[in-house]
Amino acid sequence: MKKRLVLFFALLLTLVTGFTAMTTTANAATDNSLTKIEKKGTLVMGTSPDYPPYEFQATVHGKSQVVGMDVAVGKKIAKDLGVKLVVKSMSFDSLLVALQTGKVDMVISGMNPTPARRKNVDFSHTYYQGGYSIVINKSDKGIYKDKDSFVGKTIGAQTGSTMYNESKKQTSGTTVKGMTSVSDLILALQSHKIQGVAMEKPSAQAYVANNKELAAIPSNFNLSASDTSASVAFAKGSTALVNKANKSVDQIKRENLVNKQYLPAAGKYLKTNTVNTSMFHYWKAFLTGIEYTLIITVCSVFFGFILGVLLSLARMAKGGVFKTALRWLATAYVEFIRGTPMMVQVMFVYFGLGLIVNLPALTSGIIAISLNSGAYVAEYIRGGINSVDNGRTEAARSLGMSSGTTMRYVILPQALKNIWPSLGNEFITLIKDSSIVSIIGVSELIFQSNIVRSDTYRGVAPIAVIMVLYFILTFTASRILNYFERRMQHD
Amino acid sequence: MTKPIIEVKNLAKNFGKNPVLKDITEQVNPGQVIVIIGPSGSGKSTFLRCLNLLEQPTSGEVDFSGENLTTLDTKRVNELREQMGMVFQSFNLFPNMSVLENIKLAPMKVKHMADDAATKLAHELLQQVNLDDHADAFPASLSGGQAQRVAIARALAMDPKVMLFDEPTSALDPEMVGEVLNVMQELANQGMTMVVVTHEMGFAKSVADQVWFMADGFIQESNTPDAFFSNPQTERAQDFLSKILM
Ligand SMILES: Nc1ncnc2c1ncn2[C@@H]1O[C@H](COP(=O)(O)OP(=O)(O)OP(=O)(O)O)[C@@H](O)[C@H]1O
Ligand SMILES: [Mg+2]
Repeated sequence: MKKRLVLFFALLLTLVTGFTAMTTTANAATDNSLTKIEKKGTLVMGTSPDYPPYEFQATVHGKSQVVGMDVAVGKKIAKDLGVKLVVKSMSFDSLLVALQTGKVDMVISGMNPTPARRKNVDFSHTYYQGGYSIVINKSDKGIYKDKDSFVGKTIGAQTGSTMYNESKKQTSGTTVKGMTSVSDLILALQSHKIQGVAMEKPSAQAYVANNKELAAIPSNFNLSASDTSASVAFAKGSTALVNKANKSVDQIKRENLVNKQYLPAAGKYLKTNTVNTSMFHYWKAFLTGIEYTLIITVCSVFFGFILGVLLSLARMAKGGVFKTALRWLATAYVEFIRGTPMMVQVMFVYFGLGLIVNLPALTSGIIAISLNSGAYVAEYIRGGINSVDNGRTEAARSLGMSSGTTMRYVILPQALKNIWPSLGNEFITLIKDSSIVSIIGVSELIFQSNIVRSDTYRGVAPIAVIMVLYFILTFTASRILNYFERRMQHD
Repeated sequence: MTKPIIEVKNLAKNFGKNPVLKDITEQVNPGQVIVIIGPSGSGKSTFLRCLNLLEQPTSGEVDFSGENLTTLDTKRVNELREQMGMVFQSFNLFPNMSVLENIKLAPMKVKHMADDAATKLAHELLQQVNLDDHADAFPASLSGGQAQRVAIARALAMDPKVMLFDEPTSALDPEMVGEVLNVMQELANQGMTMVVVTHEMGFAKSVADQVWFMADGFIQESNTPDAFFSNPQTERAQDFLSKILM
């Protein structure tokens, strides 16, 4: 799965780079990156908010917000441009793709300007020079000294990050485990699945300061400046925008704003953050999650059903060239959708279609899941239609009803009754599977629980909460569906 | 002489390489009751289904009221099917609808009859088949005899000129055969044109104007019931009758 995912990203990236390469050569003479932002009046910053104190979720005045020193840097750049900053959260893996597909205008996420990344995006000057630490369990403090003490052990790092690559390169006999979010890594550390987590020094300090069970040790990685510095990433070829941003970044460096203002401010959020880590305190976050999960599920079931009916009819079309082509297309569609992972479909709709139309994450999620569900529903319906006794169809036709009227009033109602249990299962499956859209940053239950986790540094409690919530949702849904199923029983 | 309502000319039907109907030329006049008998597998159902084009003939003509069905477009075929009610061995009621809804569906969706007019019509037809007290029942709760009577009422709701019956009593328990045959007899008395495939020889003798004996893909004999049963002409028919009248 993971491997396929990476492959998919690589593919998407090449695709996107191809596109941008085309557009940049065309745009080389007319770089409108700066005027575009000024016209728009907003600067959209993409970030992966699970990396305190760089960026993380905090509850500010009762509302969940992304804060941290990177957000302060983003605000400064936006302010100097005279526009408003909009922060968009997504997984670290998705950030560069989002940048290249125009979902975001810039990425500030503790990102190192490595040569590999430079091939695909433009970087500002560095706004912060950090270093690496390894976070370990305090109880192991005597055992581990630096990166070389983990022979035969496992250390973790955020997938796609510089630490991950360097940990792989610069250790021997050590297993390096990658996970998408740092809070997951910390959880793995505390449950002794891994023995250390490599991360940037300020992050390590933040985690240690907020969790008495943890300790930080120096990493002693041999690193170049570009591996330890953080820069703002922009789409390739947006020189005017980069030059303008560099003015802000240079000022941040000159006046040492990160250490003097941004880090202390971020630290304050971290402190208020740990005061009340009870799950009840976060009921609003969970409620939002339920709300989005239900919106996605209900919309997807609705559209998926309509699509499923159309697809199943198309799959059963018989006759001329047109109908044969229709049948062939519908069959190909169903086979293709059922033969590819939903996660990839979600990303493809969000990032791939994003090249043509800029759809919000929620819309993309609903579209992708509807498209997916439609293929499965089509098969249920086809089975349901085939299960309707042919004698009934003939009776209807002998009364003079057209094939369309027969389908609508005689066959479909019976087919639906037959497949109602399968449709119900599909609904319940979607309640659970809608969690996949969390990867594109839709604030459904899983996404919200991740926020609560990075917010409270409590790994298990939010998972337990959403598990119960999912169960309540699916259980209620199945009771309601059973009720209707009983009411439809006439024979 | 009256014009025939159904005329079949050189009708043939193959299923793949299997010739089921070979060369049939017959006609049905208005008001006539035709009973088709013959051994199992001889093509009686296939023939009946060719009359309203549920089965597409391989060659030949089926004329209804002077129009050759095999050359018409789907829309016109649908219109002509309204005028040929069909009753099946296995009733084929719509299980998701009440008795009343079963009868109302086609008049409302095909003839665009108003709801209350359709309800009124359905109740009248149910009275005719002695089932008005079951109007709100669902098919699953009916006995076979009741279901078949509902199926007859449903076909009559389109006000057909001809009724086709394919072994309407073969799936019934013996004690229920009578109630269905009575309804059919009543219809015949009212002057309905009927083509009936059946093994009920009593019905053939008392109600039919004409008996067609079918075997090996041909109508072997066409005669009045009296003549046919007392004096069958072909060896095939003599053989068949001797077997079933034993
Ligand atoms: N849809 C079909 N496809 C292929 N063969 C068929 C089909 N329908 C009928 N047949 C074949 O055609 C022949 C005649 O069938 P048909 O049902 O018309 O006979 P029948 O006289 O009505 O017999 P029964 O008294 O058993 O109802 C049989 O051999 C049957 O197997
Ligand atoms: Mg038959």
